[in-house]
Amino acid sequence: MTLGAFIIKNALRNKRRATLSILSVAVSLFLLVLLLVALREITLPVEGAGAELRVAVRNKISIANLLPSKQLPIIQKIPGVAAVTPFTWFGGKYKGEQATFAQFAIDPKAMRGVFTELKMDPASYAAFENERDACIIGKITADKYHMKVGDKITLEGPIATIDCKIVGIYAGTPDDRNMLFRQDYLDEAGGLNGQVGMWWLKVDSAQDMPRVIQAIDRAFENTSAEVRAESERAFQLSFISMWGNIKLLVGLICSAVIFTLLLVSASTMSMAVRERFRELAILKAIGFRRRELFVFILAESFGLAAVGALIGVGGAYLLFTYGDVGKMTNGYFPSFEVTSRIIGLSTLVAALLGIVASIMPSIAVAKMSVTEGLKTLD
Amino acid sequence: MATNGNIVSIRNLSKIYAQGEIQVTALDKISLDIAAGEFLTLMGPSGSGKSTLLHILAGIDRPTSGECHVQGIDVTKLNESQLADWRNQNVGFVFQTFNLLPVLTAYENVELPLLLTRLSRSQRRRQVEIALSLVGLADRMKHLPKQLSGGQEQRVAIARALVTDPKLIVADEPTGNLDSHSATEILGVLRSLSQESGKTVIMVTHDPKAAAFGTRTIHLEKGELSK
Repeated sequence: MTLGAFIIKNALRNKRRATLSILSVAVSLFLLVLLLVALREITLPVEGAGAELRVAVRNKISIANLLPSKQLPIIQKIPGVAAVTPFTWFGGKYKGEQATFAQFAIDPKAMRGVFTELKMDPASYAAFENERDACIIGKITADKYHMKVGDKITLEGPIATIDCKIVGIYAGTPDDRNMLFRQDYLDEAGGLNGQVGMWWLKVDSAQDMPRVIQAIDRAFENTSAEVRAESERAFQLSFISMWGNIKLLVGLICSAVIFTLLLVSASTMSMAVRERFRELAILKAIGFRRRELFVFILAESFGLAAVGALIGVGGAYLLFTYGDVGKMTNGYFPSFEVTSRIIGLSTLVAALLGIVASIMPSIAVAKMSVTEGLKTLD
Repeated sequence: MATNGNIVSIRNLSKIYAQGEIQVTALDKISLDIAAGEFLTLMGPSGSGKSTLLHILAGIDRPTSGECHVQGIDVTKLNESQLADWRNQNVGFVFQTFNLLPVLTAYENVELPLLLTRLSRSQRRRQVEIALSLVGLADRMKHLPKQLSGGQEQRVAIARALVTDPKLIVADEPTGNLDSHSATEILGVLRSLSQESGKTVIMVTHDPKAAAFGTRTIHLEKGELSK
C-alpha cells in the first residue's frame, strides 16, 4: 500500500457522500463556467471582420429617436467614408408572435461595403439588389425556422405589414440571426416618412476613424437631429450599459455560487474528518505527525474538488465546444467559447476550494491530542 | 540517566487536569521502574490514573511534572514531532476497541506504521507477513476488519503494534471487548511476546485473571501506587 492508495481509500470510504460532494462541486463549477462564458459573450466587443472600421451613427437623444434620410448625402460626402447604409429596426411579428430574430431595413448595395464579413452567394446579392421585396436571412434563423430561398415571409410591424421574399441565406457575421430587407421597400410600405433608425458606415482606414466621427457629429450640430457617431466597439459597450451593470450582477451570482460551494465543501470535509477523529488519533499514536495528517486531509479535499472540477469544467468545455450552442440557446448565443482563461479561473476556484475546505478540519486535527481522540472511542 | 537494566524509569511523575476552576490529580508523584522484558500489569479502579500513566510512558500524553525515561530518553522533553518519531520506532499500541482502520485490510492495517519508515515495499511485506504469522493470522491478510472476529481483530492490532519491532508494547485493556476464550488467546500472545521475544509489555486491566498473565502487577489508587 502507498500513502496515495491510503488517501484514495479514505476519500471513497463513504461512496454516497463522496459522489454527492463531487457532484455538488461539478454542478457549481459548471454553473460558474456558464456564467463566465455568458458574461464574456455578452460584453465581448466585436473584433475583426471589419468591425474596427465601422461606425454607428444614432440620434444623440436616444437610439429610439429616428434620423432624417436627408442626412445620407451629407455623410457620404465626408472624406474617409467608404460606404453608408441606413439601419432601421423594424420589430415585426412573425406568424403572429414577436419574432425571436431582429429585422432591419438597409440599403442592399451599401450593405456590401459596410458589412464586408457577410457571406452570401453572388446570385443572392444580385437578387437582393434588384428585387424591392427581397430579404435575406441569417443562417441561424433560417435553420431554426426551416426557411429557404424562395420562401415568402410576412412581418406585422408597428408601422406597416411587409411581405418579403427570401433571396439569400447569409453567414459569416458575428450574429447570423437577423433578417435584412430593403429600406426603400419599407419607405414604400408607408414606413417612416423619410426617416431611418441609424446609419452604419465604413471608413477607409483606422486612421480616418476619429476624424470621420468628429466630422459627422459636427455636420449635424444645431440641427433638429443631432447625432452621435461612435466606433462599433464603443456603440456596443454603450448598448450593453443600457442593460444596467450586468457585470456586477453576474459577478454577484458567481460569488454566491463560490461561497455556497465553499460552505458545502467545508461542511463535507468537516464531517468526513469528525467521524474519523479516533482513527486520526490512532495514526498520531503510531507515529504520524501533524503535517502528514494535514497532507491526508488536504489531499482528500483537493482530490474531491479536482474530480468535481474535471466533471464540471470539463463537461462545460465539451458541451459548449462541441454542442450546438445556437440551438441550445435558441440562437441567442451563436457561439459560447470556453476560453483558457475561464478554464484556468474555474480550476483555480476548485483548487482554492480544496485548500480552504481542508483548513478547519486540519486545525481541529492539529489541536487534537491523541488521548482526546482516543476518548471519542470509549 | 543510568537505566540499570530498566527500560522505563519514572520519577515523581504527576498529572493534574484542570477542569474549569477545579484541579483533578490523576497521578501524584509516582516513581516506578520497569525492567526490560517484563510483563507488567496496571490495575486499579476507574479514575485511579492507570491509563494516564500508560499514556505518559507511551508518549501520547504529557505529565504536569516529573520525569519519564524510556530506554534512557526522557520523553517529557521531546517536542511533538520528535515524540511522533519516537513512538513510531519504540512503542507498539494495543487498544481495547482494536482501532483498526475499517477501509484497510489486515495486511494494510499492519503495514501502516511502516509507511513512515524508509523500508522498501518488499521489506515492508516481509515484516508484515512475519508480524501476522506471529499472531497466527497469516491466512487472513486480505480480510477487512469487518470480516474478522473480535479476537482476530485484536490479534491484527497486536501485529500492527509489533511490526516496527518496538521494545515497548502498551496495551490498554486489550481484552475488555473480548469473550473469555479470545481474551485468553490474546493474553497468551502478549505473554509470549514478553517471554519469547523479550518485549516489555505494560498492560492496563480491570480483570485479575488477565493480570495473572503478567510477571508483576502494580495497583494504583487515586493517582498513587498502592503496592
